[in-house]
Amino acid sequence: MQMDTIMSYLNNMFAALPRTEQTFKLKQDLLAGMEEKYYELKQEGKSENEAVGIVISEFGNIEELAAELGIAPDPAGEAELFRLLSEEEATEYMSVKKRTGFLTGIGVALCLTGVSLMLLFNTLVEEGRFGSFASEDAGDMLGLVAMFLLLVPAVGLFIYSGMKQEKYSYLQGGFELPYHMKREVERRQAAFAPTYTLSLILGVCLCILSVIPVFAASAFGDSATSYAVIALLEIIAMAVFLFVYYGNIRESHTVLLKKPKAAKAQKEEERVIGAAAAVVWPLATCIFLVSGFVFGSWHINWVIFPVTGILFGMFCAFYNIVKGKESS
Amino acid sequence: MISSDVIRGYNDTMILSLLLDGESYGYEISKRIRTLSEEKYIMKETTLYSAFTRLEKNGFIDSFFMDETFGKRRTYYRITPLGRAYYREKCEEWTLTQEVVSKFIREL
Repeated sequence: MQMDTIMSYLNNMFAALPRTEQTFKLKQDLLAGMEEKYYELKQEGKSENEAVGIVISEFGNIEELAAELGIAPDPAGEAELFRLLSEEEATEYMSVKKRTGFLTGIGVALCLTGVSLMLLFNTLVEEGRFGSFASEDAGDMLGLVAMFLLLVPAVGLFIYSGMKQEKYSYLQGGFELPYHMKREVERRQAAFAPTYTLSLILGVCLCILSVIPVFAASAFGDSATSYAVIALLEIIAMAVFLFVYYGNIRESHTVLLKKPKAAKAQKEEERVIGAAAAVVWPLATCIFLVSGFVFGSWHINWVIFPVTGILFGMFCAFYNIVKGKESS
Repeated sequence: MISSDVIRGYNDTMILSLLLDGESYGYEISKRIRTLSEEKYIMKETTLYSAFTRLEKNGFIDSFFMDETFGKRRTYYRITPLGRAYYREKCEEWTLTQEVVSKFIREL
């Protein structure tokens, strides 16, 4: 029966509209009109298929009606509130994210190198490698100067990266990606996955390996331990660089691909974890420096970093699980 | 066939003009537009019902149900005094529009 075709066509057209008394009545009226037109066309000698074709081709478009009723035909109508990201913006975001990730990674590595340089000078002076000109105080001074010489450009890099990324903070609020761009980002993400996994494995291996010199050195006495801690910091610096750089590239993909609705909940989680990280890591660094300078416990106080890392990781995992339960 | 873009502003006027002859319902109106225009303009279903919705919202037409012979209910429309006033306005507007535009229309 050809009227069924017309009926199912109409049902499909109205499927996206909310079911109200008004739309129901409109649908009934439209169906009545289309039905009448169909029978008349058949009486005029048109075939059934021809008649259905004409009726459907003269239907028009449902958006026109929806607009008049003041309703959005899209069931996910709120998606319209999000701004549409252009192809250029998305591409630019990815390249900026990659570059600032690189710079931030270098910055973190510089900080760690600064601390290790300071340790190096301290140890060298303590061992009398600079001869008798350099007192221990001069050694401390030299170490501090070296550290700050590296910290200053590092801070510069952080500020520069932060400012560059600031421009894209609106991405946290939700947006829509054009369909073909979404495909492109998905393709990039898939192509990048092996690299990212490799960088993670490498970074974690470096972290684990970094402890080995410290254990080995404990057999050779105090100054050997100092050199081992310097090595540890440098290895950690490399690992952190890998995490930050590759992590940023990955984040640029996940940020672009996340669903607009998930964005809000995720934002809240990221905010809490970000805030915790901003407190925890500087605090750990403070404890590291203070315990080193005041109590001279350089041989053991490095454990603060792996311990903080593990505790913080546990906190993040725990928080995500609790939050996930709440929202589901 | 006339493009719906050009004629958009006068869909309401056409419907009101037909309702001046008496109450009517959707399909009859669209059929009369088609025959009166000698098949040069066919109003799409959604255009027609958008216009009904808009006109009724503005108080230019009223709708009511009427039972047909074989037990079907149809929505009928009739023009209101407000609709008549609006129709007159649109006619004047058209006369003026036509007058202006025609000054720029010539044979080539």
